[in-house]
Amino acid sequence: MVELAGLTDTQRRVRRRVRLRESALSFGMMGPAVLLYTVMTVVPVGVAVYLSLTDWDGFSTAAFIGLDNYKHLFDDPSSSDAWYVTGLISVVGTVLMVGLGLVYALALKGRSRANSFFRAVAYFPHVISALILGYLWAAILGTNGAINNTLAKFGIEPVGFLFDEKFAVISLIGVIVWAGFGFNVVLFVAALQTVPAELLEAAAIDGASKRQINTRVVIPMIAPVVTVATVLNLVGLIRAYDIVVSLTGGGPAGSTQTFTYLILARSFEGTKVGYATAQAVFLMVVSAVLALFVTALRNRQDQAATGR
Amino acid sequence: MVVLEADPEAAARKRPKARPAGRDDGGGSVEREESRSPVRWALLGVLFVVMVVPIYLLIVNAFKSQQEILDNPFSIPLGGLTFEHMGAAISSPQFNVIGGYGFTLFLVVMVDVLCIVLAGPAAYAIARSLKKRTQLVLLYFLAGTFIPGAAVIIPVIYVLREIGLANTVTGLVAHDVASTLPVSIFLFVGFIRTIPVDIDHAATIDGAGRYRTFWTIIFPLMRPAVVTVLILNSIGIWNDFISPQILLSPSSGHYTVTTAIYAGISQYSTDLTKVFPNLLLAVAPVVIFFIYMQRHIISGLTVGAVKG
Repeated sequence: MVELAGLTDTQRRVRRRVRLRESALSFGMMGPAVLLYTVMTVVPVGVAVYLSLTDWDGFSTAAFIGLDNYKHLFDDPSSSDAWYVTGLISVVGTVLMVGLGLVYALALKGRSRANSFFRAVAYFPHVISALILGYLWAAILGTNGAINNTLAKFGIEPVGFLFDEKFAVISLIGVIVWAGFGFNVVLFVAALQTVPAELLEAAAIDGASKRQINTRVVIPMIAPVVTVATVLNLVGLIRAYDIVVSLTGGGPAGSTQTFTYLILARSFEGTKVGYATAQAVFLMVVSAVLALFVTALRNRQDQAATGR
Repeated sequence: MVVLEADPEAAARKRPKARPAGRDDGGGSVEREESRSPVRWALLGVLFVVMVVPIYLLIVNAFKSQQEILDNPFSIPLGGLTFEHMGAAISSPQFNVIGGYGFTLFLVVMVDVLCIVLAGPAAYAIARSLKKRTQLVLLYFLAGTFIPGAAVIIPVIYVLREIGLANTVTGLVAHDVASTLPVSIFLFVGFIRTIPVDIDHAATIDGAGRYRTFWTIIFPLMRPAVVTVLILNSIGIWNDFISPQILLSPSSGHYTVTTAIYAGISQYSTDLTKVFPNLLLAVAPVVIFFIYMQRHIISGLTVGAVKG
């Protein structure tokens, strides 16, 4: 703050009072939101961190055991299985969602009524609750589902889409991709529509084929958006829960238990609350690292955009 | 920091002349060539079938008998059309999806209103403040976007117990509102920063206080951002399963659409005459809302996710 020289005392006092009133008002405007957010979001995180350092079982008094819970995160088989499933779903799901998103975005980037319609067709599952989509697909893929009953008509043995350990994870990933790739389509189309038409024309005049234009000009132009979408998808899939509950219930034989599913299942048995919260805190850290990564990427993009 | 642009489509609708001519013929000659390409039609055909068939199955099977569903899942029930199961689902005393509409809608409205009332003034104070301290408040809220809700829901129970709101609707609303604040405040701050400060100064000179300046002058100008936040929150709360499931036990007697479906379908998953009608009831409002507000929803959810 630069103070002007030659102010009288009265003027200074008035100024200070005005400024005090200003900050009091700001505080009054922000206060309620800050308070609610602190009590309902920040404090629970603190509680989670505290509980994760204890051996609390939900009933008796908790003993402080330091980082013991964290040491077990990786040598406990059910936990590492859940990590494997979560990692598989996140990586394979993200690759498929981003890939399909790109393919369909390139096919639907034009501004026409037909394209808008198909984009909406790809996108609509995104607004339906994952729990309900899971039940719908469970009814379609189940032993008595539409697909197996149709196969039976042709004399083909039913396929255990949800009851065979080999297929259950594949089915789960398939449904997640089905429900989620449309979001990427919309995102990439928005990015593609900002690619200047002159650039594409210039490439065409220089004799580039359509495929070359797409792979050498268009995709590099929207690469930053693709990167952000990739991380967003990863963050979303790491937290997969609702769809697991309704599609497979974590089965068969725990082969589709994701990390969040495991945390919530454990917390309710009332056995290892401390351990379950340690897992939750770990999941939070992984999510935060990925989210920070997105923020950093975005800032770099913004700098690139303003610097151009 | 990212400056939020109002959604480009809406801007384009408002200012058709302001669009660069080059962007309009993004379709143009390339588009006409594309629409004739057989690969593209194959892609779109597959997309349409894969996305629409599950919804088609959901609709036709909601009006069939169990035997008919098992025998001919794909047929249109012209002969065996029955409203019996749909009627049973509507009036079922065991788990009431229609009853869930009312409670869920109440939750959505409460959370939307409270979120705007809390996030609006807070965002205004943050956006208009020149102090470093206040920018830290924004970062404090942004940290909330890193927290996976499902992972900290268990500690939220303990916090609610401490303040005497365990298992109450008030507690659920408080948690839901808090979870919407980070993204809402972030989007609002970005938007308010694009509104010239001279407007505030003019209002101050005319004798309006800060609250009055915000609610009567700035808030009406924020419409695009408010619509985005309302859509994000409404769809998020409507589809939320984990918070109502865990923060309101069945003993509270309150069911949202998702928890009612969970309570019912997990019991009767083999009785397809219960599964399909209830799922259709759960999906219908959202899909109708989506068809009606498609453009707003798609741009709102995309902006919210990418910027949030």
